[in-house]
Amino acid sequence: MVENIVLGIGLTAMAGALATVAGAAEDTESDIGSQGDPNSQVQLAPQMGYVHRIFNKAIAGEPPAYGLWVALGAGITGALLAMGINVILALIIGTVLTTLVQGVYATTAYLGRIASLAKFGQPVYVDILKSMTTVTMAHAFIAIFTTVAMCYLMNAALGHPFPLALLGVVWGIALGAAGSATGNPFYGKERQYQNQKFGAGVPVAASGNIVRYAEAGERNSLDNGWFTSKMGGPASGICFGLIVFLELWRTVVFEEISVWGPIIVGLAFVIAFAAMDRYIETWARKTYGPYVKEVSA
Amino acid sequence: MSVTPKPAGGVGMDWMSMGIGILIMIAIIGAVYIWFPPASGLMGFLDPSNIFMALIAIIVGGALIGIGVHFVPVGGAPAAMGQAPGIATGVAMLAGGAGLAGLFGGAWAAAIEPDPGIWVVCMAGAVGGALMMAITCMFVNVIYVYAMGIPAASGKAKVDPITGDTQTEYKSQGTEGHGLPFISFVGGVVGGFLGGLGGTLIYYVLLEWVYVDRLLSDALGAPAVANVTPIAVSLAGMFAIGLFLVNAVLAAYNITGTIEGPHDPKFARWPRAVVATAVASAVCGIVAIGIVAV
Repeated sequence: MVENIVLGIGLTAMAGALATVAGAAEDTESDIGSQGDPNSQVQLAPQMGYVHRIFNKAIAGEPPAYGLWVALGAGITGALLAMGINVILALIIGTVLTTLVQGVYATTAYLGRIASLAKFGQPVYVDILKSMTTVTMAHAFIAIFTTVAMCYLMNAALGHPFPLALLGVVWGIALGAAGSATGNPFYGKERQYQNQKFGAGVPVAASGNIVRYAEAGERNSLDNGWFTSKMGGPASGICFGLIVFLELWRTVVFEEISVWGPIIVGLAFVIAFAAMDRYIETWARKTYGPYVKEVSA
Repeated sequence: MSVTPKPAGGVGMDWMSMGIGILIMIAIIGAVYIWFPPASGLMGFLDPSNIFMALIAIIVGGALIGIGVHFVPVGGAPAAMGQAPGIATGVAMLAGGAGLAGLFGGAWAAAIEPDPGIWVVCMAGAVGGALMMAITCMFVNVIYVYAMGIPAASGKAKVDPITGDTQTEYKSQGTEGHGLPFISFVGGVVGGFLGGLGGTLIYYVLLEWVYVDRLLSDALGAPAVANVTPIAVSLAGMFAIGLFLVNAVLAAYNITGTIEGPHDPKFARWPRAVVATAVASAVCGIVAIGIVAV
């Protein structure tokens, strides 16, 4: 029993590490492609007269898009495994084929979204299409490979009953949800609206006025990926890594003691995170202070 | 031109459409009652492992998902610019992420031998969803506070109903608020809990009360349990995910765009969503049951 738990903890740590890399790659990929909610600003800018060279492939939210890609990768991998192909090879072939699908998606999405802005004078830049698509594909490859590998560990080594493709849907959607929740504000507010005041939200009146110029020449989405990979990407990675690690760890370790063990430990974690969140909230209120003095009624 | 306003929906009930929906639901429940009559007597009726009770449980699970989605604080695109409080993604997507993470935990608990029972499985799913939302909500505030230097402030409440913190003076100029005040954090956790609970309830009843029994007894040449379980698990998982997404999207339409959590005036729309998700779950439930029971 002890050996099982030790092996389980090792696998859990491995899955958590894979999830952390997946989260970071996913957020960077989505920021380069403007897949998250800030796509609305990329789309709005030309309508306000701000023509730009930002990539935009948002024709689906991050969670459904990643649900599709990871499920596809996991499905192909599962099919190859059923044919008796080596695990690593199956994972790589499955991910490569999925990445090609992602590339087709990114190309058609960019052309469709940007072409719809033609009447506002926004050109379709072929050099942007050539250089950004391959970079998003590279990041998507990492995100999909690590997530499918993590799903494989859950299914084959930890004994989760779901087949690989179903785990792909579940964790693909969760990956997109965690990555977009954590990474979107950093890309949307901190990068697209770098010209606005730090430490305050973007006023509604500034909508559409995204930053379009870089240190040299016009800004493109590779600059945005470089910027968000410093904070938004790693934070999304830690967020998704924690979700996967704690979800697995509490089950692997405490299920041996009692079937209620993982549930009680999970509730304890929820309370701990609530306390941490409250600490962060009050820390911000004390440290940054109010924007205006309190108006007494 | 500024941000296009979202279509606003009131909190009132459209009794005509509600009535039609409820009639459809009653018709489906009645059809299943006639089609698969429970054993005679009160105990037979209350016996959980009959198909009629499975349909009722699916409807309850769907309604739980519908209510849960209303608790989740979702700010959409404005939240990504620090223009509105909430989590910067779509309602259905976030609820889906949390509910499916819960379903993962619930399905794992359901695989324990011997069967740990419906309460353990459903609580495992509920806590899985709540934990996913707790981590995600905390990281939203981590990003806002430590990466962007913005404190949390609600746009819909002057005072946080739980902590009593004043909100108005922490809103930056020209915005409706930003980040996740504590009430929104709690709303997110409760939403994840209810979503995980509902999704796992649907999974459990489909698996244990419908698919395993039916696949064992039907015209598949009396297969062994070990051969049937993977098929039953896959079918139940697929239908649970499908039902989850149907209900989450329906509830998202009821919310129309963004919601801050239980203190948001839009939260009062939840009774509509309960009726709508119950009807949709009944329609989807009869398909999920009929695929093996016919």
